[in-house]
Amino acid sequence: MPRYARPSTPDEAIALLAEGGWTILAGGTDFYPAQGARPIRDDILDIGAIEALRGIREDKGDIVIGAATSWTEIVRARLPMAFDALKAAAREVGSVQIQNTGTIAGNLCNASPAADGVPALLVLDAEVELASTRGIRRLPLRDFVLGNRRTARAADELVTAIRVPTASAAGRSSFFKLGARRYLVISIAMAAVRVETDLQGRIARCAIAVGACSAVARRLERLEADLVGRPADAAALGVIGERHFDGLAPIDDVRASAVYRMEAAREIVGRALADAFGTTAGQGVAA
Amino acid sequence: MTVHIRMDDRVEADRLEDMAQGVVGKPLDRPDGARKASGTAAYAMDSLPDGACFGVLARATIAAGRLEGVDAAAVEALPGVRAVIVDERMLRNPAQGMAGKAPVQDPHEIAYFGQPVALVVAESFEQARHGAIALVLRLEARAGAVVGPDDAGVEIETPEKKQQSSGDLDAAMREAVFGVDQTYTTPVHASAAMEPHASIAQWDEDRLTLRGSYQMLRFNRAELADALGIDEKNVRILAPFVGGGFGSKLGIAPEAVAAAIAAQRLGVPVAVPMSRQQVFEGVMRRSETTQRIRLAAGADGRLTGIGHEALVSNLPGEKFSEPVTQATPFLYRGENRVIGHRIARVNRTCAGSVRAPGEAVGVTMLEIAMDELAAAAGIDPVELRLRNIPDEDPTQQIPFSSHKLAEALRSGADRFGWDRRRTEPGQVRDGEWLVGMGMASAVRVNMLVEAKARVSLSSDGHALVETDMTDIGTGTYAILTQIAAEMLGLPMDRVETRLGDTDLPPGSGSGGSFGAASNGTAVFMACEEIRRMICERFGCEAHDLTLKDGRAIAGNRSVPLAEILGGEDLVAEGHAEPGDAEDKVRQATYGSYFAEVGVNAVTGETRVRRMLGVFAAGRILNAKTARSQCLGGMTFGIGMALTEEIFHDPRDGHIVNRDFAEYHLPVNADVPQIDVVLLEERDAWANPLQAKGIGELGICGAAAAVVNAIHNATGVRVRDLPATLDKVLEGLERQGG
Repeated sequence: MPRYARPSTPDEAIALLAEGGWTILAGGTDFYPAQGARPIRDDILDIGAIEALRGIREDKGDIVIGAATSWTEIVRARLPMAFDALKAAAREVGSVQIQNTGTIAGNLCNASPAADGVPALLVLDAEVELASTRGIRRLPLRDFVLGNRRTARAADELVTAIRVPTASAAGRSSFFKLGARRYLVISIAMAAVRVETDLQGRIARCAIAVGACSAVARRLERLEADLVGRPADAAALGVIGERHFDGLAPIDDVRASAVYRMEAAREIVGRALADAFGTTAGQGVAA
Repeated sequence: MTVHIRMDDRVEADRLEDMAQGVVGKPLDRPDGARKASGTAAYAMDSLPDGACFGVLARATIAAGRLEGVDAAAVEALPGVRAVIVDERMLRNPAQGMAGKAPVQDPHEIAYFGQPVALVVAESFEQARHGAIALVLRLEARAGAVVGPDDAGVEIETPEKKQQSSGDLDAAMREAVFGVDQTYTTPVHASAAMEPHASIAQWDEDRLTLRGSYQMLRFNRAELADALGIDEKNVRILAPFVGGGFGSKLGIAPEAVAAAIAAQRLGVPVAVPMSRQQVFEGVMRRSETTQRIRLAAGADGRLTGIGHEALVSNLPGEKFSEPVTQATPFLYRGENRVIGHRIARVNRTCAGSVRAPGEAVGVTMLEIAMDELAAAAGIDPVELRLRNIPDEDPTQQIPFSSHKLAEALRSGADRFGWDRRRTEPGQVRDGEWLVGMGMASAVRVNMLVEAKARVSLSSDGHALVETDMTDIGTGTYAILTQIAAEMLGLPMDRVETRLGDTDLPPGSGSGGSFGAASNGTAVFMACEEIRRMICERFGCEAHDLTLKDGRAIAGNRSVPLAEILGGEDLVAEGHAEPGDAEDKVRQATYGSYFAEVGVNAVTGETRVRRMLGVFAAGRILNAKTARSQCLGGMTFGIGMALTEEIFHDPRDGHIVNRDFAEYHLPVNADVPQIDVVLLEERDAWANPLQAKGIGELGICGAAAAVVNAIHNATGVRVRDLPATLDKVLEGLERQGG
């Protein structure tokens, strides 16, 4: 018989993980559908009862989102405008029922190429905090998600939090998702951007990420660099060229063709930037 | 006392017009609405008997072959597991609608991936599911399974009875001034009813009671009895509430027979619920279609020829095949015709009736072809259709019973503002959105099916309507109550309707849009008989009697019903049957659809901005439930046009997108304001109510209005549905050079 454990503190959880062989269960919204027609043979470590892993707090200026914080909690939290993209993405994770139970760390650990939370966290320069009996380490998100369904988490590690550094919690952000229907849909392509402007209205810093167009959502660093110093207005979008999307590697599947994905990515990056520039009427996310 | 009507001729008298209660036709709420909204209406799995065990179906993981056996012992040793059942009476697939006998049986012969082959029964659902998942099936795959209609080696039947031709279409095409010769495709569709299939079987000695989610109980009873090899008198089926069917619950299905076998063997009630994935794979799909459509027209756009040749698919041995061309023989004029029908035999989930079998996909593609003809001939699409309405059924050369297509087209065009449509595609731009309008005709054959109903008027002036007819969300409770209330002059709250129990008189069942008219006629006939009995007691002629608000009125007398009945109850049974009327006239319902879409020039997304449907279906019995049916149908149409598509794995035929996450029904945000207009119509050939079916009319061409609007917006013609964003964008880019 498989084992089932439901600890109430992170320490208990990592002590169990040190024994090895556990599959971690959080909201379960990816875990259960993935079982398909197979019996559950894994030992299940259910972290749903660990209160310390829930909620959003500040720690030395960083904004720390507990690993088991639900998408709905994120949407309802008071957060700087830089988090608008994350909130918009939270509203697109499945249905409201899914958002009520699905967790932010679960979305990262599941490591789907179409994970809705990843692009918005990439533009926030988020770090993933991992704990084990060996200690605590932090990895930038880009070094945490390694590939389709692959992460840098060791078998004995528990993701305890997502940290956003103070410096990255600035500016305006925006998120666009494109799917075959208007809602309740897995992305064909998505884009998140965060833009900081100087007193002259020029782009001081910017972060751009595209999801569902490569095995892991990617930042578009060359485009980011090319935009810095330009006025944050529609004219800046003229810079965007094919070369900026070289790092993407979309695939053909039932949702759309690779060619379509590539074009869609270019388009929605432009839309998200325009929105973050404030050239379109973006009014934040209603809870 | 049973009173009978066989529809051999027109029924001249419009009796409902003479009635005084004033409830028929009104947009009244459903009497069952509060129970449904408050969660107290009991659907199949809500009525679990004490001590019930649960069964979960184990299913084949090969496209074709044999089940050599199962390793039952290992699963039977699991906690809570009571039995592993493999029984030769188990069904391969559900019965087709109105079959009245068992479909192919025996789980040892496997014909498609996902076919139920065993049932694991346990004390809890979770134990049963675990057992079904753990059960090792010894399967022997057969080489050469054919999983797609285009696969090499596929066997294609050309049934002689389903081919038709008149005149010389080839010559008509050669001589045509304007012509269309195109091939169109539609993908596999799922019914996707909200309530998953489930059955609970319970035996009392040799009597079986089955609670299930079914549409046509009198047929289902016969099918279940036949499958089990027992007398149907010993079978009772209960389905008081059904959470949608759309064809998927027409025939008895594998879970019902498996539940009955298990309950008998174990001597306890057994419930077999199906998961969403099992429903997608194991119930019924609408066949994919390939349709070659040829239209030949003169300079004035008048059709001289129509060709409509379809290729569909089904499992070996299934009699049903999607009747794609059902409305083509009579919708438009044209003396030279070819109707073709071919069936590919494939190892895929069984194909069966999905909402409006035939017209849903056949009229849709014909209406896209008509739009192509309109563009080629430079004739307005509405005008083109008006010019081609025939004076009589051009194939059978019989008159139409009534025909409101022209009115639906004109009135729809007027209401929608069709005159603002730009003839040339791609002329209207709203930011990055290209905006266009499209339209299509609606048509669906009208049917009457044998039905019986009992009406009892109690001595205190309350009425009870009883039939085994179902309400699958369509509004049967409402309209049968309304008909009885109208005929007996009672307020709605003094009439109760009981449905969904085979101990009650057998109705038609829900299917083919015939439920309201068929069972309504049976109720009407019973009420006429009760009125006759009241006349006898009251001492008046039938035409002098007025019944209103519980009183009988004749001449200057007005007396409470209770007084006339004098402590006596009046009971009558009505019986409606189809007759020669079907052969004397062509009966159908008609309508028109208009859609405005925005197509995003950079992403190819299509957003339907507004939509209108104008429908004529004889007398409308309840304006609210009728409108709801049309809204649902047109929403199906948006899905068919833009997103709905089942994918079969080309290796083994299994359904890849077998849930609501990946089978893309439109969500609320995809559906704009939809307006529905119901035209005044009476059809005396249909039945004494002069009402026709409206349940399916909303989907019989709706998708074409959307696809035609995409063309008007962009110039892109999508011929293989759905018109997903990548197809539309590719078309836009091709045009852009």
